[in-house]
Amino acid sequence: MAKSGGGMRILQGLLVFGNVIIGMCGIALTAECIFFVSDPHGLYPLLEATENDDIYAAAWIGIFVGFALFALSILGIVAVIKCNRTLLLVYIILMLITYAFEMASCITAATHRDFLTPNLFLKQMLERYQKVDTENNNDKWMAEGVTKTWNNLMLQKQCCGVRGPSDWQEYTSAFRKTHNDADYPWPRNCCVMNDQGSPINLDGCKLGVPGYYNSNGCYDAISGPMNTHAWGVAWFGFAILCWTFFVLLGTMFYWSRVEY
Amino acid sequence: THTMLSLLLLLLATAHGLDAIPTLGKPVLASSTLGGQTTASTFVLEQPRCVFTELQDDIVIWLVVALPEAVANFSNTVKPGSPRRAFQKFPQSTLAYMTLNTTLLNYPCDKTSRDITVLRVGSETTCAKDELRPTCNGPLPGPGPYQVKFLALNGSKPVAQTNWSDPITLRKAQPSSSIPMRGSKHSSSMIALTTILSILFAILLAGLVAMLLWGSGTSGVSSTFSKPEAVTVRRYNTHHVYDQPAARL
Repeated sequence: MAKSGGGMRILQGLLVFGNVIIGMCGIALTAECIFFVSDPHGLYPLLEATENDDIYAAAWIGIFVGFALFALSILGIVAVIKCNRTLLLVYIILMLITYAFEMASCITAATHRDFLTPNLFLKQMLERYQKVDTENNNDKWMAEGVTKTWNNLMLQKQCCGVRGPSDWQEYTSAFRKTHNDADYPWPRNCCVMNDQGSPINLDGCKLGVPGYYNSNGCYDAISGPMNTHAWGVAWFGFAILCWTFFVLLGTMFYWSRVEY
Repeated sequence: THTMLSLLLLLLATAHGLDAIPTLGKPVLASSTLGGQTTASTFVLEQPRCVFTELQDDIVIWLVVALPEAVANFSNTVKPGSPRRAFQKFPQSTLAYMTLNTTLLNYPCDKTSRDITVLRVGSETTCAKDELRPTCNGPLPGPGPYQVKFLALNGSKPVAQTNWSDPITLRKAQPSSSIPMRGSKHSSSMIALTTILSILFAILLAGLVAMLLWGSGTSGVSSTFSKPEAVTVRRYNTHHVYDQPAARL
């Protein structure tokens, strides 16, 4: 039983309100992270091939943290209303653990976002797109993923290369080993296609006539979704953690005021 | 321009004696709006339209591609397709080759046309190694530089030519391993996020410790009443549940 002073009632009300918000945000976080993990833009193979898919790990942690926040917020509401010291202590300890996990997720997402530079994707594209002389199964799997992803990307977003078609001219590539420069100055999917999936003018495409080939780079189409993903996980998680910080401080203060 | 032309002809005639054919214009690369203006093994020239205006339509125009060192002593009388002008022998045993032959009919002078009129040098890959096709328009073997000119032949007699173009250098691909991969540069937002979260977490942990050490009720019990003690106190509580509030007040 707590003191029935007005101050404690207000604190109770605030804590319940705080926990309600945490519960709703937890569900929102889970939903957002499920959305990111489902890879709606089909860019996951590119991350897989960098052998560092931390933003996906961060999103996975986010799914479980969101659910944990929801469950703990219910526990918190029950504990505050019942003024039960044990329950409140359990709530605080579990919340701190969840807090630590969510912190890890936010920091991982933010750090990994800085790793995804244009040069990273350029090098990966040049080394893995249409690579045939793969060394082992893993290498083959990554090359196939990268090839398929780039083919889709160039077709759907009407772009070519990371900065532009000149990427294929400026650097050597695995693609160049199997496709000679005169027949394929750049990959076939850089050509503007008709509805049947063939270039509208193959000679125009090879010449580089504007309108018959995609002259802009794909980096925007890659970094846009990845930025949204990383910042969505990192900053939304940060906002939740800031709010949770105040609720937890309030709960700790409340715990110290609750009678036995 | 007519007087300049005749002066030029006179000069050429005196300089070269027998080989006095008109030299008109100069081949240029196509506009740089074309993405494939120069690649690693091809380049694109403007067609020689409105250049050979005085000749008949059945004259054959050839493109001569040569290394710069062959330009000084280039002979127009060597037949195209002969071993000295075969693409397959370029550049090992010959310094120039001739290709892209077509009649003047295919280069009509139409100033109103807005079509793209270009020639892609190096586009035929199928005949590049075929010795039976010495006039193949095969891919250039290296980044050059190369110089080109157009030569008009009537049968096997040269009747007109253009000047040699400026040296054309093709693109040279760098190895992809040379792309710099800087270690991840930490953005300011990531540093801010990490710092703030760490501080908040530290405050929470400090709060937890403070709470456990000093927050055990307000009845002034010392810190020796830690959590296990609290359980026994609670049991004690149930016997004195009505007394405690009274005692507090």
